[in-house]
Amino acid sequence: MKSRKGYSLNRREFLQTSAMTTAGIMAAGMPLSQAIWAAEGSGGGVLRVRSYADINKLDPGFYQNAYNVDVMNCIYSKLIHYKPGSEWETELQAAEWIEQVDPTHIRFKLREGIMFTGGYGEMTAEDVKFSFERVIEHNSPVKDDWGPLDHVEVEDDYTGVIVLKSPFEPLWNVTLPYGVGHIVSKKAVLEATEDGGDFGMEPPSFSGPYVLDEWRPNQVVILKRNPEWTGPKPGFDEIRILPIGDPRTAETAYRSGDLDFTHISLSTLDEFKSDPPQDTVIEERPSLYYVYVGMNTENPKLQDINVRRAVQWAINVPQLLDVGYFGQAEVATGMVAPGLVGHREQALIPPEGDLEKAREYLREAGAEGISLRIDVLNESKFTAMAEMLQAQLGQIGITLEIDVQDPGSFWSIGMESEGDRWQEMELILQRFSMVPDPYYATTFFTCEQVGNWNWERFCNERFDELNAEAVTVQDEEERAEMYREMQDLLEESGAYRFLTHEGSPFVYRESVMTPATRPDGRPLFRFFDPV
Amino acid sequence: MPATDMTRSEGQPMREPSAWVQHWRQLCRNPLGLLGLILVVLMVGSALLANVIVPYDPAQVMVGPRLGPPTWHNLMGTDQLGRDTFSRVIMGGQVALIVALASLSAALSLGLLLGLVAGFGPRWLDNGLLLLLDSVRAFPVIIFALAVVTLLGPSLYTVVFVVAITSIPVYARVVRTQTQALRDHEYVLAERAMGASTRRILGVHIMPNVIGPLLILASMDVPLVIALEAGLSFLGMGVRPPTPSWGTILNNGYNYIQNSPWPVIAGGIPIILTTLGFTFLGEALRDIFDPKLRRDL
Repeated sequence: MKSRKGYSLNRREFLQTSAMTTAGIMAAGMPLSQAIWAAEGSGGGVLRVRSYADINKLDPGFYQNAYNVDVMNCIYSKLIHYKPGSEWETELQAAEWIEQVDPTHIRFKLREGIMFTGGYGEMTAEDVKFSFERVIEHNSPVKDDWGPLDHVEVEDDYTGVIVLKSPFEPLWNVTLPYGVGHIVSKKAVLEATEDGGDFGMEPPSFSGPYVLDEWRPNQVVILKRNPEWTGPKPGFDEIRILPIGDPRTAETAYRSGDLDFTHISLSTLDEFKSDPPQDTVIEERPSLYYVYVGMNTENPKLQDINVRRAVQWAINVPQLLDVGYFGQAEVATGMVAPGLVGHREQALIPPEGDLEKAREYLREAGAEGISLRIDVLNESKFTAMAEMLQAQLGQIGITLEIDVQDPGSFWSIGMESEGDRWQEMELILQRFSMVPDPYYATTFFTCEQVGNWNWERFCNERFDELNAEAVTVQDEEERAEMYREMQDLLEESGAYRFLTHEGSPFVYRESVMTPATRPDGRPLFRFFDPV
Repeated sequence: MPATDMTRSEGQPMREPSAWVQHWRQLCRNPLGLLGLILVVLMVGSALLANVIVPYDPAQVMVGPRLGPPTWHNLMGTDQLGRDTFSRVIMGGQVALIVALASLSAALSLGLLLGLVAGFGPRWLDNGLLLLLDSVRAFPVIIFALAVVTLLGPSLYTVVFVVAITSIPVYARVVRTQTQALRDHEYVLAERAMGASTRRILGVHIMPNVIGPLLILASMDVPLVIALEAGLSFLGMGVRPPTPSWGTILNNGYNYIQNSPWPVIAGGIPIILTTLGFTFLGEALRDIFDPKLRRDL
């Protein structure tokens, strides 16, 4: 297993490195475009990979899910990107350089010659301004990623300054290298949408090394080389992304040779290790996901905090993980994974819980013999954990009903915009994806998010204050302390019992490729290299 | 049956064995039918006596190691939560039988009633009912089931409801056709001339004549219903956990097939045997009770 190295994005260091690289190229008397082409790989072939869900949004300003960003990474460019490897670092992509002038001003210069497809011309600072500001202007569901963005000042064709209303630390860890950091063509988007709003699944122009060639819903996403691309040539000619939700099906597809790269489930990791398919490399990465049992604080049955505490204390986390992940996942102390700023050393409630205490809370609430319901996603690890939870709560006299839901119905349970089901939600077994900044976890549990992504309807003034303030704090330890307090508040509300961050094992055929992933194992397809 | 009773000649010198004995002999001459009968008796017997047979509570976790192989303590091994698979398979049979009985008897009674009304009633009622029945039949069963489950939530009742609703039109149509064939028979006309009420004609004279083929049809539908229940449970849309169902056992087994093959075997074999049993028995019964069909063959 690759070691979990501490998260350190040292901005100064990478600015120095990038400046030195640029200086080196200039000193060698080499024009930049030539230097880029010099980095070309051998190229060729088709990359066949699996995604756990089908794409449903290709507008980076409104990106919503991580699996959409996997595709966006290939078809658009952004100022900086996550560097493939086992440490959280970023490197320059569309930017020639980028620097923090002061806590609220970030100045950048674009590389020259990055072209938009479809005759929309060269990428300019005006496109950057448009791409970033439209997220706020059109009230995107992910506008929080841009936090306090005020505007972008355009200095000339290639240079601009991002101006923030207040300092925003996640900018370097999330905003720029992830979803909303992608740059789209102003002209193309305005032509397609008139007002510059969400263009959904129909990108009017591409700016990455690949273009979307074909999308057959629920079958395949085919990306092909962008003929107008002037940057470093990507490794593969074609990327075929097959949406396969069920990990077992994906494992079977890999074993039968239909896929060359896929994540596998923790429960079959041992099987893969003891009997690996030919040419296969198994890599284990610490994942950032967080899995928890949530409780709807507004549901009449769970309004009494003592009932929620009884559930919290009745849950034996290691036992749940044992059935869900075959002992391959470690107990989480909160929503922030080890190695990230704000990780807690331990949770307030011990992993094993305490049945006596749970019974006491239940007695205090006068809710003995209560029956509750839990919604779980129709996936074996979740249903197995829910059934174990049923047995655990049964020990303190709580009858737990399990409602297994398919993804379409599950992901809208707590959304007020999708109907009234949020009122009936009681317990939920939830799993959220995460990026390497604690802000991304806590920001979904504010009062403003109630009925959107905050399905437990937890609302705490102090929490919101801390959440707003922590993004502006530059001292790492001070910032970490704030996120630890926020996780304490979540746990004290009784509405959350954190379970695990899972793990992120994946397999690939070494005879076909050298993969490139983020430290948490999420693939960066544009950097995959053929063998 | 009144119609055949009238044709029987009286005072035969040689007394023939009773109808039941004849049918039994016919069945004994059909080895597949006999095998079917044995399988059905085994399945129904184990389901009826399930509470006595099971060694463990089927919902109790960690009675053995997780995904253990068969041992003397756990005859079919254990599942991913360490529950005894044998107990779950036996109780799963009970669930399958409950679903089959409940849904088919509901579908039979409603189908019979609607079919009689449509076949014997005025033309406008017949047309209206036909339109309704054909509209329901037009839905593909699985798609309809998935939609209903999404609306009502997965549970045993939903499965029963879905199966009943989708089976009613089939039975109703058979009954309607039979009723229409019988409505102009002389004994019905005679009864009518004597001033019998519609209810009496339908209940006493027509129903006994249509119910035979209907029961055979239903017995052949049992495996379909069991497969549908198992299929929905396999998709996670059937019974609620931890209720054991063969489909759920099979699905769990499939999910952990890399770890242990036993749950798949334990969940799959009863589905195969029951389906075969009911199909063989149903076909044998059809051959025995439906001489017309036999001649045609």
